[in-house]
Amino acid sequence: MHKKSGLDRAAAIAAQPEALVMDLKRQSGRPVIGYLCCFAPPEIISAAGAIPYRITGRPGEPTAEADAYMEPYGCTYVRNVFTQGLKGRLDFMDGLVISHSCDMIQRLYGIWTYYHPLSYSRLFNVPHQVTPWAGRFFKRELDFFKESLEQFTGQAVTDERLREEIALTNRNRALIRDLYRYRLENPPLLKGSEMLSLLLAGGWLPSGDFNVLLTEALAEVKKRAPDRPARPRILVWGSLLDNIAFYQMIEEAGGDVVADDTCIGFRLFEKDIDLSGDLNEGLKDHYFVDFQCPRTDRGPGSGRFEYILERAREYNVDGIVSYIISFCDPHKFDYPDLRDYLKEAALPMLLIDDNYSFAPAGTIQTRLEAFTELLAR
Amino acid sequence: MSSSEMKRAKRHLETTRKMKDMLPRFFMRMFERRFSNDPLAWCMVGVPPELLKAFDLLWEWPENFGTICASRLVAPDFIKVAEGDGYSPELCTYVTNTMGYCKRWIDSGEFPEESPMPGGMGNPSMLLGSGFLCEPRYKWFQAIATRFVDVPVYSSDPLAPPWDVDPHDPRITAHYKDLLREDLHGQVEFLERHTGRKLDLGELREIMALSHKALAYWRDTLYLRQAVPCPMGSTDYFSAIIPQMYMVGEEEAVDFYREMYLEVKDRVERKVGIVEEEKYRLIWFGLPPWFNLGFFNYLESFGAVFAIESTYNVGDWFEVELDDPLEAIVERAWVRAVKMHEYGTEAMPELCNPAVFGGFVGSDMLDEAVEQYHLDGAVMHLTRSCRAVSFGEVHTRNRLAKIGVPSLIFESDMADPRLWSDAQIKTRVHAFIETLAGRNQAGK
Ligand code: SF4
Ligand code: SF4
Repeated sequence: MHKKSGLDRAAAIAAQPEALVMDLKRQSGRPVIGYLCCFAPPEIISAAGAIPYRITGRPGEPTAEADAYMEPYGCTYVRNVFTQGLKGRLDFMDGLVISHSCDMIQRLYGIWTYYHPLSYSRLFNVPHQVTPWAGRFFKRELDFFKESLEQFTGQAVTDERLREEIALTNRNRALIRDLYRYRLENPPLLKGSEMLSLLLAGGWLPSGDFNVLLTEALAEVKKRAPDRPARPRILVWGSLLDNIAFYQMIEEAGGDVVADDTCIGFRLFEKDIDLSGDLNEGLKDHYFVDFQCPRTDRGPGSGRFEYILERAREYNVDGIVSYIISFCDPHKFDYPDLRDYLKEAALPMLLIDDNYSFAPAGTIQTRLEAFTELLAR
Repeated sequence: MSSSEMKRAKRHLETTRKMKDMLPRFFMRMFERRFSNDPLAWCMVGVPPELLKAFDLLWEWPENFGTICASRLVAPDFIKVAEGDGYSPELCTYVTNTMGYCKRWIDSGEFPEESPMPGGMGNPSMLLGSGFLCEPRYKWFQAIATRFVDVPVYSSDPLAPPWDVDPHDPRITAHYKDLLREDLHGQVEFLERHTGRKLDLGELREIMALSHKALAYWRDTLYLRQAVPCPMGSTDYFSAIIPQMYMVGEEEAVDFYREMYLEVKDRVERKVGIVEEEKYRLIWFGLPPWFNLGFFNYLESFGAVFAIESTYNVGDWFEVELDDPLEAIVERAWVRAVKMHEYGTEAMPELCNPAVFGGFVGSDMLDEAVEQYHLDGAVMHLTRSCRAVSFGEVHTRNRLAKIGVPSLIFESDMADPRLWSDAQIKTRVHAFIETLAGRNQAGK
């Protein structure tokens, strides 16, 4: 049989990440550490000799199991993910790392580890303000994180090992940036859903293997030529999107997702981690100071949104779709400010408020269609 | 729902009834000072009130303004304006109340006449936010300063260790206390810059001494509610938080809490309860429905009294060395975090600061409370728009069930009466009272 490569392989991995990681675990004998949110560097997990695994939910699934321990008024994504844990679907995980990104995620940590303890668990605490003292706290937190992993795996996180891991993920970043360039074309040579599949695969593959996958994908994309007329170009902003379903819905509605500003997207890859000086300094800048998530308070004014407009201009975006999960405070609070800011820049924006279901039928699809039609005019 | 079902609260204590005269006097004094353009800060709970006083600021608590708008039933007007502006109905209604208020004010150039206080909240010269307890507290001021008033903002950022990290480990202590201390110094520096005043440590020390004296009376009053029959109810409790928020560090506030303490003590000695026949003793979780504090009196009509509430509970961990008053603020926040930790903070959100009556949820403290306050059951208000405070209620219910204490969880909101369903809530209250009655008959 023809072995899948590049983009097809990424899609196959995204369909069954658990199988992949269980194989890795069996072959390497290393523990698997699941993580949520992007503040605790997965590079440190790898450097400690464990396998980092990005936990994802199963959109649309009922959350009855989690509801026995958690209030119904809370981000559905969080309850969905906890349901996966309670159903035993994440039992291959030996450890759990949750960053204190938003309120919900932080509270999930306590409840999860209380009702469903794991051999290793860690809340990676993160300040909300970007001040010099917050930066110092973040760096100390990095050291505590390293130490706790060392105790668990028995492998020291030396600077040398960490540097190697970061060099690998920096290579990931460079390749991802190369791939994003093909989205600058009109029509883009790489679909938004394809890009997200790749990025998701990166949350499950070891960085070296991810580099191979990205290189294959890049070779495929390079060979592509425009084969259809251009369509409205869309940037997606919003809450966590860990499933390609929503991008597919936009594609189905007649738009092209060419850029993004969500948790699993360009914001993680647009720059390298600086390896020239103190590693903690580089990690702090990358994962805290420069990492654009509305849970971090960057002060008032619309300056905090400038990067979105810059990105929209760079990618020649016609409109912005904002996807916000129900009860997602950080994004819901920013929405009116961002909407007004984009209005001033004459960039149309559509708000989709969803309970992490991505149900393709129904009103969301209709609204996406109406929006792309409007942009096409 | 129609407002006729909403009931103003009936208070039981002379002292809390007297607030009717005391507070307007105080607010008028604040109001008059506004005309001399004294700096006015809008503040978030989590900012040490003693510091505001030491800078001789005028201040407003938009959260508390939300409770007042809610109790006067004007909050929905403001909330609807904010919703029209794109704020989701799921967001904290204290926030949307303020956003609607600001929009009306900025659009018309006048303070909205629905505003329950004379002159509304006034034109702020600075915003002092906080990351304490929830995200809305800093996103809120970020948005106000983006949309409505271009004034400087400082949001403090206290963090506490999660439940499985040992706060007694000296390295962990230093890790967190450094953040608290440096952040507090940042806040002081900000206040000095924007008020043009230098912080007088001696003055702050005196203010804190008075503040702690008031807190001690308040705490001791709460302990007295362990008595059977319970001498003080929730309607008194929830109104009594106000003097400490506004009149902190004033003799008058100390007098108020002393008087309240003496009155409650006297009632304990004379075995005077708040209902004729006390049948069930309960614990309250969550924020109260401010638009319908009469709900507590409704429960009292069944002989059910609340002997303790989880929110705004002062705790007893503020007696710290005051020599260095700034260090005392750090220390008292930290000691609180450590104490909470010892009680089990698995469902505990962020840091709680005793000076501002933080709440607690789901912890080992429950077992103690059930015993000491002779509790028969728990009522939990699941507020749709404030997840920060409701979070942990399901967990707490699970823990209470383990020790055989039944709970009622009902859903509504703290400020938006549109989420209150009178008939439904009453049906559930009746069923709950029946459960309690059945248990009483069965001798539990
Ligand atoms: S979607 Fe929003 S509320 Fe949910 S985990 Fe992400 S940031 Fe938090
Ligand atoms: S704790 Fe609740 S009510 Fe208070 S500001 Fe936060 S979300 Fe709003």
